[in-house]
Amino acid sequence: MKIVEQVLKGDKRAAGKLISMIEDDDAGATEALAAIYPHTGKAHVVGFTGPPGVGKSSLINRLIREFRVRDRKVGVVAVDPTSPFTGGAVLGDRIRMSDTGTDPGVFIRSMATRGHSGGLALATFDAVKVLDALGIDLIFVETVGAGQSEIDIASRAHTTVVVQMPQSGDAVQALKAGILEIGDIYVVNKTDLGGADSMASNLDFMLEERQGWRPPVVQTSALEGKGIKELADAINKHYRYLKGGGGWRRRESDRARKELYESMKRLLAEAYSDETEGVAFEEVVGAIVVRKTDPRSAAKTLLRDLKLPK
Amino acid sequence: MAKKIRVLMAKPGLDGHDRGAKVVARALRDAGMEVIYTGLRQSPEDIVEAAIQEDVDAIGLSSLSGAHMALFPEVVKVLKKRGAGDILVVAGGIIPDDDIPKLKKAGIKAVFGPGTPLADIVAFFRSSAK
Ligand SMILES: Nc1nc2c(ncn2[C@@H]2O[C@H](COP(=O)(O)OP(=O)(O)OP(=O)(O)O)[C@@H](O)[C@H]2O)c(=O)[nH]1
Ligand SMILES: [Mg+2]
Repeated sequence: MKIVEQVLKGDKRAAGKLISMIEDDDAGATEALAAIYPHTGKAHVVGFTGPPGVGKSSLINRLIREFRVRDRKVGVVAVDPTSPFTGGAVLGDRIRMSDTGTDPGVFIRSMATRGHSGGLALATFDAVKVLDALGIDLIFVETVGAGQSEIDIASRAHTTVVVQMPQSGDAVQALKAGILEIGDIYVVNKTDLGGADSMASNLDFMLEERQGWRPPVVQTSALEGKGIKELADAINKHYRYLKGGGGWRRRESDRARKELYESMKRLLAEAYSDETEGVAFEEVVGAIVVRKTDPRSAAKTLLRDLKLPK
Repeated sequence: MAKKIRVLMAKPGLDGHDRGAKVVARALRDAGMEVIYTGLRQSPEDIVEAAIQEDVDAIGLSSLSGAHMALFPEVVKVLKKRGAGDILVVAGGIIPDDDIPKLKKAGIKAVFGPGTPLADIVAFFRSSAK
């Protein structure tokens, strides 16, 4: 496919268009994704999660500059929610990421969730693959830390950065359940507001080593540009840890497993949204209602006779 | 999934705040479109770069500072240079009547003054952005 060749040559316009094709579930998207897949797997994917307004975009903006100085090509996929009522969205992360202008080594894409639950869009990690194929070395994925999204991002990224801001001691105790288990790196941002030291040591006290990696706590002020080098170093250190100890392979397997399940679910859903299948499906629904069959047996029969979309 | 209309809202120049652009952004969102804000103080080159990465159908430029004659046609020019001449450019904000024909001649597809009904703006994006 022409668009795939262009992406592989580093054409940003083609990459932008291919990401839209994937988001819109365009007819050529599946074929294009299959064609780029062998060219992916090189980029280091770093997820950013944390409460709204904590400074994720501002930090990523600073990190882009820091990693550009270190001669890495940097990509960003920044996800914001779609309005469930109108299907529209206002995507504002880019406002804070405008320092890099026309730098050819940077690609930033804003993405709406489009009804996908969990703070990520269905297309988010396919867009990551497009950036990977485009030749980007380091890809940041920003998601609003709400509900399921932390877990989702942690199971798909190589490195997960959890961003918090200074809070009183009690608030630290009340950190959202699960948040201490998913981060590879913790950031206390907005140190310029004060209270960061006790927040950081409280966090540090609660964090435990997992599989030979003890998550560091880094203090930053995206506003003043402080702690950015340390955060960049921590990200690189985690990369070396993953590559050195087999963690990379394990995370890639986790991701592959998840994407395989998701693809299967999607195919099944498509098979049943197809019009004729829909009719058959509705007949079975009727049979279940009148107790001619039960849901589990009917599911088995339907799956046995399933015709997948081409 | 149907194709979504994506619009980049940009404010070239040094405008501080711009409520008009925000109101339009919300109206487009409520019409089911995806609106992406660029950063502040963006040059025409920055705006075009963002439009390409975001693969938008249209760029909405808004200006209150009177710099529109210098900046808006430049955006159209840079788009063409980057092979993205199919991205629509529209303008809003306070623009003197005399400048409107000049902007249109320079490739700005529509100019929406402060009194334009939101429904008209929404309808324009719907019908023009494929
Ligand atoms: N004082 C202070 N303010 C900051 C700092 N970092 C970010 N901010 C401000 O916090 C606000 C939110 O910053 P963003 O970078 O947009 O935060 P975010 O986490 O990306 O926000 P969402 O994407 O909306 O969840 C902005 O007004 C920033 O200027 C910091 O280190 N110190
Ligand atoms: Mg943000």
